[in-house]
Amino acid sequence: MAELEFIHVNKVYGNETVAVRDLNLKIDEGEFVVLVGPSGCGKTTALRMAAGLEEISDGEIRIGGRVVNDLAPRDRDIAMVFQNYALYPHKSVYENLAFGLRMRKVPKAEQRRRVEEIARVLGLSDMLQRRPAQLSGGQRQRVAMGRAIVREPKAFLMDEPLSNLDAKLRVQMRAEIARIQQALKVTTLYVTHDQVEAMTMGHRVAVMRDGILQQVDTPQRLYDAPTNLFVASFVGSPPMNLMEAGVEREGNLLVCKIGDARLELPADVVAERPALAEFAGGRVAIGIRPEDVREASGWDGARLRGRILLVEALGAEQLVHIEIAASPLGRGDLVDTTAQPPGPSLGGVGDVERAVTLLGRFDRHLLLLPGEAVDVAIDPRLLHFFDLETGASIPTVDVPVAAEVAG
Amino acid sequence: MSAITPIAPTPVTPVTTRRSRRRRVRKAGWNLLGLFVLVVMAFPVYWMVATAFKPGRDALSYTPQWIPLHPTLDNFSEAINRPHFWDSVKNSLIIVSVVVVLSLVLAFLAALALAKFRFYGRKGVIVVILGVQMVPLAALIIPLYIMMSKAETTRGLHYVLGVDKLSGVIVMYLTFVLPFAVWTLRGFIDGVPRELEEAAMVDGTTRFGAFVRILLPLVGPGLVATSIFAFILAWNEFIIAYVFLQSPDNQTLMVWLASFTSLRGTEWGPLMAGATLCAIPVVIFFLLVQKRIAFGLTAGAVKG
Repeated sequence: MAELEFIHVNKVYGNETVAVRDLNLKIDEGEFVVLVGPSGCGKTTALRMAAGLEEISDGEIRIGGRVVNDLAPRDRDIAMVFQNYALYPHKSVYENLAFGLRMRKVPKAEQRRRVEEIARVLGLSDMLQRRPAQLSGGQRQRVAMGRAIVREPKAFLMDEPLSNLDAKLRVQMRAEIARIQQALKVTTLYVTHDQVEAMTMGHRVAVMRDGILQQVDTPQRLYDAPTNLFVASFVGSPPMNLMEAGVEREGNLLVCKIGDARLELPADVVAERPALAEFAGGRVAIGIRPEDVREASGWDGARLRGRILLVEALGAEQLVHIEIAASPLGRGDLVDTTAQPPGPSLGGVGDVERAVTLLGRFDRHLLLLPGEAVDVAIDPRLLHFFDLETGASIPTVDVPVAAEVAG
Repeated sequence: MSAITPIAPTPVTPVTTRRSRRRRVRKAGWNLLGLFVLVVMAFPVYWMVATAFKPGRDALSYTPQWIPLHPTLDNFSEAINRPHFWDSVKNSLIIVSVVVVLSLVLAFLAALALAKFRFYGRKGVIVVILGVQMVPLAALIIPLYIMMSKAETTRGLHYVLGVDKLSGVIVMYLTFVLPFAVWTLRGFIDGVPRELEEAAMVDGTTRFGAFVRILLPLVGPGLVATSIFAFILAWNEFIIAYVFLQSPDNQTLMVWLASFTSLRGTEWGPLMAGATLCAIPVVIFFLLVQKRIAFGLTAGAVKG
């Protein structure tokens, strides 16, 4: 077991295509870090560089404090789980599991003991003599995991190991992998494009985009304080509602204008974000999580008038699409394109440029019907503010004020 | 049950029967066509073997004799006792085994490069390999002959190349067996996911170790299949052998078979007996290796 460190790592293909740009990431001993991002963002390349399957163009990768740039994969003492499992089809499950041990000249008896123990833990004892072709997808996945575990390596590298499984099995294996990692306490770097996987499995999550690391933090911090519009739109399902809003100064107050609605910003919100005052007279991007969008009955703060487009009943809650008058984000390049909220309705409020569909997670007991008008309450304390130019979040500073959050 | 759940509609019978009857007729048509093709393919082989067992009179009879009524082994003994039979067998075996081994080794390495590495001119090489096979062999005979006779007088080359030399024929056979073998093997190597070797390398093998322990066993069936085709190509080749191997000591079995046809006519009985004998090694070779191919088909089914 050891720590895994990327220090100013770059990967350039040919002369121009940059896959990974100045990656700095340290995975502590026993830590589970998930590298997440849309496809083509360089996350798999980063993982393969750590495994030694891809050359490092520039920078250093250290495993357990030792620079491994020029070491062959077999000398790095890491284990990798591949997206398509990469089980050796001509070998039995037993031979697949024992292969790494055999290559490392572990004594036969010891090999047998370890393979059988792993097989027992993973529930593969009955199928040691089978070939991979005779296994189901979930069983192959287990064998692939077992092959990594049995070696007792310094670090696990996992490249989207769950993406070939069906949805139900994926949820099950997700928990299983997290449990195994916790039990073994092996440093793990896990790559996925699925932000739900990232949030549920990782101690820390590293969000990557276009080869550049955006933010590394605990899942909760990532969710509560995304560092820019991309992370805000990428993390969370359904994604954060994002729109443009004006900021104006009215006397001592800062006011946020969403469409025609006025939203007074409480003093503590402004105090937390000193930079927000500089945007007075200009525009910012604001975001609000679907669970923070509320129906306005009994709310004495600012309201947004909206119209219900669609109600998706999820059982425990309902997901409501509400059209409000506001400006959609102009800068599509700053957000995750796959997580874009649904476009404006057909024949809705009228002006397409001025309509935003707000996703809200509402209590299932609330009776809401498509086509109805609805008032939406927005608590300014739950808003996220971003610079429209750079996409960066407007930084918050710690202000020791116990702010009461509307409920 | 059906009283409670009237959702499942009762099938409309007349339409389905008509459709299924039409389908059955179409199926029977395809089967007939398949049977016809089988007969066209298999009959000449049967006729060859049957004729080999017929005495000379029956072989030439105008009313076709579907099965040999007076089976005899005379034709075989006559064929075997003909001059140069055993020389021809020896020559054919030497040429074919050298061609198969050399072409497999060279083609495997070439196919590996084409499948695994991205180098400048890779596409060009692939196109040339395919294109070379389009050139009719007969058109090359004269240029080849000129080259070979020149090579005979060139120092160094004359050890290997030249007219009436087995080694010269081997080199010429390689020119058409190799491209074919490279092409086939490339397909087999491409079918093995790259991750398998990578997994082996992470598991502790060297690059070469991954090649030997993972890639080679998986491509094995491909090697076997390719070797069968290379064997057949080289074994059955006639024109080059006929033109270049002039002395009777050097001729191959195919050239030896041609000697049954002379100015006085063709000795059909012994010719068919000889042809049957020539087919036997191919059949034996195939029987020896076909088990490996069958295994290969199931192994290839697992992708990753």
